[in-house]
Amino acid sequence: MSSVELRKVDKHYAGYHALKAIDLTIEKGEFVVMVGPSGCGKSTLLKTIAGLETINSGQVVINGRDVTKEEPGDRGIAMVFQSYALYPHMTVAENMGFGLRMANRPKAEIDAAVKRAAQILRLEEQLDKRPKQLSGGQRQRVAIGRAITRSPEVFLFDEPLSNLDAALRTQMRVELSGLHAQLGSTMVYVTHDQIEAMTMADRIVVLNKGRVEQVGSPLELYANPANIFVAGFLGAPRMNFIEAQIETVNAAGVTLTATGIPALAFGGIDAGGVSPGDAVTVGIRPEHLRVLERANPGQASFPGQVRLVEHLGRETVLYLDASPLQATNSDSGTGNFTVQLNKVSPINIGAQLTAGFETADAYLFGPDGRTLTPRKPVPAT
Amino acid sequence: MPGFWRRNRHWLTPALFLAPGLILFSLVILAASVETVWISLHEWDGIGAKTWVGLANYAELADDPQFYVSLKNNVIWLLIFMLAPPIGLALALIVNQQIGGMRILKSLFFVPLVLATVTVGVVFGWVYDPTYGLLQLIFGLFGGTAPALLSDENFATFAVAAAALWPQIAFCMVLFLAGLNNLNEDLIGAGRVDGARGWRMLRHVVLPQLSQVGFIAIAVTVIGALRSFDMVAVMTTGGPYGSSTVLAYQMYEESIFSYRFGYGAAIATVLFVIMISFIAWYLHGLIKAERSNA
Repeated sequence: MSSVELRKVDKHYAGYHALKAIDLTIEKGEFVVMVGPSGCGKSTLLKTIAGLETINSGQVVINGRDVTKEEPGDRGIAMVFQSYALYPHMTVAENMGFGLRMANRPKAEIDAAVKRAAQILRLEEQLDKRPKQLSGGQRQRVAIGRAITRSPEVFLFDEPLSNLDAALRTQMRVELSGLHAQLGSTMVYVTHDQIEAMTMADRIVVLNKGRVEQVGSPLELYANPANIFVAGFLGAPRMNFIEAQIETVNAAGVTLTATGIPALAFGGIDAGGVSPGDAVTVGIRPEHLRVLERANPGQASFPGQVRLVEHLGRETVLYLDASPLQATNSDSGTGNFTVQLNKVSPINIGAQLTAGFETADAYLFGPDGRTLTPRKPVPAT
Repeated sequence: MPGFWRRNRHWLTPALFLAPGLILFSLVILAASVETVWISLHEWDGIGAKTWVGLANYAELADDPQFYVSLKNNVIWLLIFMLAPPIGLALALIVNQQIGGMRILKSLFFVPLVLATVTVGVVFGWVYDPTYGLLQLIFGLFGGTAPALLSDENFATFAVAAAALWPQIAFCMVLFLAGLNNLNEDLIGAGRVDGARGWRMLRHVVLPQLSQVGFIAIAVTVIGALRSFDMVAVMTTGGPYGSSTVLAYQMYEESIFSYRFGYGAAIATVLFVIMISFIAWYLHGLIKAERSNA
């Protein structure tokens, strides 16, 4: 039985269509991360599951029970807020036991649940303190503890780590993954941070403009984005995009042209989807671009000048100006290409070089943004 | 003098900004308070020479039955005014609901705040009028006769304080409405997820967030009850037979009508001491609350 099921969930704010017919099924024990740019509706969707937001049409089903009209407290969920939302006038223990107290559980049971949660989260020393006496990481733990004591069917997390500093965020990320393994509960987690999404999720839900763009395992989404949005959203540094035009279409595939690069040939494209003259986009991940000794006639390549080098220790990121060839929609906001080399590189600013890639590594997106290239193998985990 | 200005502006600028307020405050509040205490030690008609009498005014006050009537009436005002914060909170919770037409209702509740206190006094004077007042109309519906509240020494103070309560409730309501608008939405959400609703949501999640506002509402209400003057002046002028007078009004009457400025100043000093002890308590509470929030 699925743990959470959303059926055609629709939500309008005054004149604004926030959620558009969302269908989503989350299995028991799954860790699902919802990502998307700000304003994509991910937090609204989470609050919809929690019952903090009402919906205009559709159904929310939790553990097989239609809870669309039920209060948050009756849905069998617990939520961890971005702001932690701890009750400032209560001690840590009172905060964590509040849900059970509202459910009129006996005091002994509440104490036992609080003690157990405090043990899991290493909060035993803090139980009599007030939230304001705690550090950010401890507050976050209390917020999680408050969720644990209620032993909910589903945990909901609304960007829980975004108020923490980088080191603490990594630590909490690991702890949360450990907690999921330990409790085995269903967890739905909203974030705008793709590292959190890639590292924690069993499955990622990519949202954009109130719509689900794609659902799948992190590596599946990375290797086989369904469209140009998902391709651009997942992966840092971001995928390079080149605008191109279809030249010929035949059974073997398509050829296309773009200013500043020799004609490219893509095999295995469904010829029915495109016709000569269509505007398409080529996508190539920074790690698939290589620095070539010299231009290879058989390989897609283009010359350029290095504008910026980022030495990250283990890897090196180059920003390459390949005019007249332009990268569109890039992270840096320029027409430069991003090249990621998995080693320390002696290349310096101003260097002239040739970058190349295998078309088998590249993606082709149709005029409507859908991915045209065939499935790529997903690395086994 | 640009060099002088540049060297000294780090303290000159704040000093200049503070100066008008400080001068005005020292002159109108501090100097006047000190002079009041000074006058209270004299026999003075307000025009002629002052005669030193030491604590004689206070000794007389201690034996003055009228003083105890005023003091008792101030306590009655205080008790009646203490209804304002809870009623104001209840009204704020009601008009804060997202229901159609609530905006109109909310603005109606603001009306007494726009009216001058004197106006409220005059209007309630008419309401209480035993021949053609609203009260008489209501009593008339049931075939009764309204009591002449303002000319009955047992009821006058209650009637005046009840009239003054009206704008005070509106004031508290506005304070609590502002507080309700500042509620932390995530905390309410957390409360809902934890299953708190209705009275328990109010008690455990909403009210704790309103404690600061509530403290201010109570303090302002206490001060309002202690300094009550204008309503008494307009509605009863302390009558009948001084039964509805309060300390502030008695001070005014002794000074202005009986030309006993020394005695009036002694009453003012006593009122001042009562107020200052309350304000000390208030500031103590405020500082404590701020410390615990730091």
